Amino acid sequence: MKRNRTRGLLALLAVLALLAGACSSRDDDGGGESTGGGEGGEGSEEVADAYGVEDCISDPTAEIEGDTLKLVSSYPQSGLTGAFAEIARGWATRFDEANADGGVDFAGTTVQIEYEDKDDEYNPQKSAANIEELVGANGDGAFAVFSVVGTANNISIRDFLDELCVPDVFAATGSVAWGNPEYPWLIGSTLSPYTLEAQAFADYLKENQPDAKVAMLRQSDEFGTTYEEGFKQAIEGTDIELVAIEEYAVGSDQVASQVTALAASGADAFFNGGTLLACPNALTAKDAEGWEATTWVSGTCISKTLMGLAGAAGDDVLSLTNLKDPLNPEYAEDPAMTDFFAAVEEYQPEFKGRELDLDNAIIAYGYAQADLFIQALEAAESPSRLGLMESIKNLDGVTTPLAHEGITFTTGDGDAYMGESFVLVQYDAAAAHFEEISDVIDFEGQTADLTPEELITA
Amino acid sequence: MSRRNLRIVVGVLVAAALLYAPYYFQPAMNQTLSRAIYFAVAAMGLNLLTGFNGQVSIGHGAFFGVGAFTTAILMNDHGWSFELTIPMAALVAAALGVGVGIPALRVKGLYLALVTLGLAVLFPRVGQKFVEGQGGVAIIRPKRSGFDSLLTFLENDQWHYVESLLIAAVLFLGAWNLSRSRIGRAMVAVRDQEVAASTVGVHLARVKVGAFALSAAYAGVAGSLSVMVDRAADATDPIVTFRNSIEFLVAVVIGGTATITGPAVGALILILLRRETDGLIEGKEMLSPAIFGGALIAMVYVLPGGVVGGLRKLADRLLPLRDDPTAPVAAAALEPEAVAAAEVSASTSDLHHQGEP
Amino acid sequence: MDVDLFLRFLLNGIGNGAVYGAMALALVLIFRTTGLLNLAQGEMALFSTYMGWGLTATGMTIFGLQVLPGGLPVGLAIVVSVLISAVLGAAIERFLIRPVHGPDKSPLNVLIVMLGLFLGLNALAQLAFSDDAEPMPKPWPSKASPGSPTGSNRFWQVGDLRIQASIVAMVVMLAVVCLLLYVLFQRTKVGLKLRAVASNPESARLVGINSSRMLMLGWAMAAGLGALAGCFVAAERTSVNPGLMAVVLVYASAAAALGGFDSPVGAVVGGMIVAIAESMTVGYVKALSTIELVVPFGLILLVLLVRPTGLFGKRTVERV
Repeated sequence: MKRNRTRGLLALLAVLALLAGACSSRDDDGGGESTGGGEGGEGSEEVADAYGVEDCISDPTAEIEGDTLKLVSSYPQSGLTGAFAEIARGWATRFDEANADGGVDFAGTTVQIEYEDKDDEYNPQKSAANIEELVGANGDGAFAVFSVVGTANNISIRDFLDELCVPDVFAATGSVAWGNPEYPWLIGSTLSPYTLEAQAFADYLKENQPDAKVAMLRQSDEFGTTYEEGFKQAIEGTDIELVAIEEYAVGSDQVASQVTALAASGADAFFNGGTLLACPNALTAKDAEGWEATTWVSGTCISKTLMGLAGAAGDDVLSLTNLKDPLNPEYAEDPAMTDFFAAVEEYQPEFKGRELDLDNAIIAYGYAQADLFIQALEAAESPSRLGLMESIKNLDGVTTPLAHEGITFTTGDGDAYMGESFVLVQYDAAAAHFEEISDVIDFEGQTADLTPEELITA
Repeated sequence: MSRRNLRIVVGVLVAAALLYAPYYFQPAMNQTLSRAIYFAVAAMGLNLLTGFNGQVSIGHGAFFGVGAFTTAILMNDHGWSFELTIPMAALVAAALGVGVGIPALRVKGLYLALVTLGLAVLFPRVGQKFVEGQGGVAIIRPKRSGFDSLLTFLENDQWHYVESLLIAAVLFLGAWNLSRSRIGRAMVAVRDQEVAASTVGVHLARVKVGAFALSAAYAGVAGSLSVMVDRAADATDPIVTFRNSIEFLVAVVIGGTATITGPAVGALILILLRRETDGLIEGKEMLSPAIFGGALIAMVYVLPGGVVGGLRKLADRLLPLRDDPTAPVAAAALEPEAVAAAEVSASTSDLHHQGEP
Repeated sequence: MDVDLFLRFLLNGIGNGAVYGAMALALVLIFRTTGLLNLAQGEMALFSTYMGWGLTATGMTIFGLQVLPGGLPVGLAIVVSVLISAVLGAAIERFLIRPVHGPDKSPLNVLIVMLGLFLGLNALAQLAFSDDAEPMPKPWPSKASPGSPTGSNRFWQVGDLRIQASIVAMVVMLAVVCLLLYVLFQRTKVGLKLRAVASNPESARLVGINSSRMLMLGWAMAAGLGALAGCFVAAERTSVNPGLMAVVLVYASAAAALGGFDSPVGAVVGGMIVAIAESMTVGYVKALSTIELVVPFGLILLVLLVRPTGLFGKRTVERV
């Protein structure tokens, strides 16, 4: 009896302690970074209009105060998609490196880049909560939002950031929605827009298999719709035919029966629009069916882990990329690659307690995004949010050491897509990496034309 | 001090703290508290069904989601103001509740739990298939201005808190009244002795389906409030509906099954526990669900009657009822839920021990 | 109708059905002795599956101490994992479930403990072994192929049909499990005691059966069976990953409900029905694509409306 009472009291105390710990006084928490104060930008009125500067809650023309530029991000760090955290290891490395080199010259102000992030487990609502907390209701908490992972996750923060006029840059998916002119404060990364993947596969077939019958596996969301609509548009007026489409639910990796149905369609080409584990599972199922078909895998599937799981079932599949693959022995001696390896080992060998695997291509992806961001800062005309955004939206043929030879990134009026040039790659299962099989293919400025408009403005 | 006075003092203190909280805390904390409030409403709904009526549901996340999408769609596509959408959310969720409640007349115990589990797993998939949200994803975010504070002296975060609190207070009072009413007693009777209840004239079908509908309506309102607090109705995450479903249940049980204050206490503990364990250890994010799971187990061990049950026991010891000779009667009259709580452990055993008569 | 295609969908269904059936059997084993639906069954199996993988790979080290060896051949790894899992399952029953479980205790508390396990074990599996998708070696004949860590599937060609070794292996696994359970329950003393505890715990106690030991045994068998099913399904889908078993558990619970929670036969039949219905829906009902889960749950609802204890269930639900 007596013991029970003590237990009860202990539990009560624990609850109270928890409450006390969770509470922080409304008065003792100051705002974070401040960006207010500057007297306004010198950009033309036209530019200001395009960005809706008049209606901004914070003043995007205000010049940065102090010598730190704070970036915030939200991405999965635990759960099924926790491996995406490796992207952040890449960009954190590049920013640390820049800081160690004395900082970045942002239109005359030398700044150190500070970053903070939170785990969202890939849940869009959590991303929204994270970003709203990090950025703050008045935008005082951060200068810009960087490399949030996931399409729905970026969609869920874009209204909030648009009203504040806080840049959301290098959104880490290839959604075509990043070109929506209604959201001028949002821009994607070097990942190729999904419609260009569809276009690239269609073009490959036109050349090598002009009367191909194509079967497609797609996810039941906007990611799948973009592949489907993009591919349909790309094969218009050709002899290529899309003979079967199967959908699988987001988050599911059970696609065997879908692949059985596709294989039975008699198709001789396979667009595998599966992502995460659905992608290798579809390849394994295709192999089990004994289905011979020229196969394309989503650009989101070219990771070491996923293709490693597919193994021989992934032999010869096609995809695209615009960055150098750390797994490719061709780049073992490449100075860009060795510098990058050295930087990661120096600055982020123990990122968030995760084991370091330098071969993981998404670290290189993160590093490249950060490098382009730094270049955009250096090219900006004014050290303000508007200045940053204008600079990223007017990249003129810039490149980064980890990009393939000949790849450039260009954005401009009405073109918010960076990853419009790429090379085709083909998987070599025995060597366990992708080989480049084409010269640079350039769709510069064409994404909007190759994409059904309702997908962009959805 | 008598039990009754203690209740009044504690009640006043808690009410004062609840009202003062939004002025004391930062916006982020207010949002967390608002989240705890809508969680409490959903948990209360589940408590009406599971605690008072004995029907277990691990699918209330679906009713919650239906409420959220009703509100978001009405606001976005039909220009309704937020407050008007709340009763609609309740109605739509209740209708779905009736739809599940009717087969539940035949399907009981574990089997019912299973069917509701199916509901939770299916909801996001149906959402993804049929909801065309912004950017083509199954997420609908009404404009921020739709939720602006109607009281000019309150900031938005404070307003969201106050509005949620008011609605929750009304719903909790409603549940309290219901539990003391004839219908409430009928619900408990059906839970404890279904056959006996029907022989004394309780209309089984009406009570059980009604409990389902009401319970779903509460969850629907909670979903509606969540659109204000989180500003999104979201079906993109395939596991979130299931997670919500089990967390509502967790809130009910750790707070105190078949009590009125239990779900609120449970929801608050749950939300704060999750907030505190999230990102607790840099680089070992995986530890937080482990700690969270361990904490749940520990709570059930230490407080098998939930926090409210534990507090009652504590009060029993510190303030023996003999202080006040009329207290047992008065307490029983004042706290039907206390009586119900005393009964719950014995009675809900039919949830698992469906042994022969 | 294309018969060949129909058979291919059927084979897909049978392969999954064996897995769902095995997991449903595990649920039934626990239900029969304790009257509980073990929601943590899937994550217990996930932990075991990661352990099975770990035993073939690097083993397990805690603070630099090698707790489990690595590099075992897959068959041995699965056996070791099954045995360790059985011990862990018994321990879970003894130390976590029993204190909150009993005729005079709220079953909701047991539910919370199981949910705690559900959340905790998934995380622990990731902490202890890996938080990534890991290639699971196949415990059935496979052919080595370049770039495949686990080799690719062997199959037998029958007419136009390919019969995969994986499907045969899973069906054999399930058949062996069923046989062992049959022998155990019908031909041994322990089985008799288990049945006695399942059908009437009170009388079982009166005739001197140590029912608490039987409960532990029930959990141990369920955990071991989960380990087996988990390792097989991981090998069939080429990888073990943190989300693997949650979905399997949903289908397995549906299978158990369909068959009747107290019926081992029902579990196996239910597993097959659920899985075949699923693959046929994917194959032939386009309107339900991505929501094919509607079908098993619709089936359950229909069956339960007619037979409230499932297809093969016996226990009455009414309690007076």
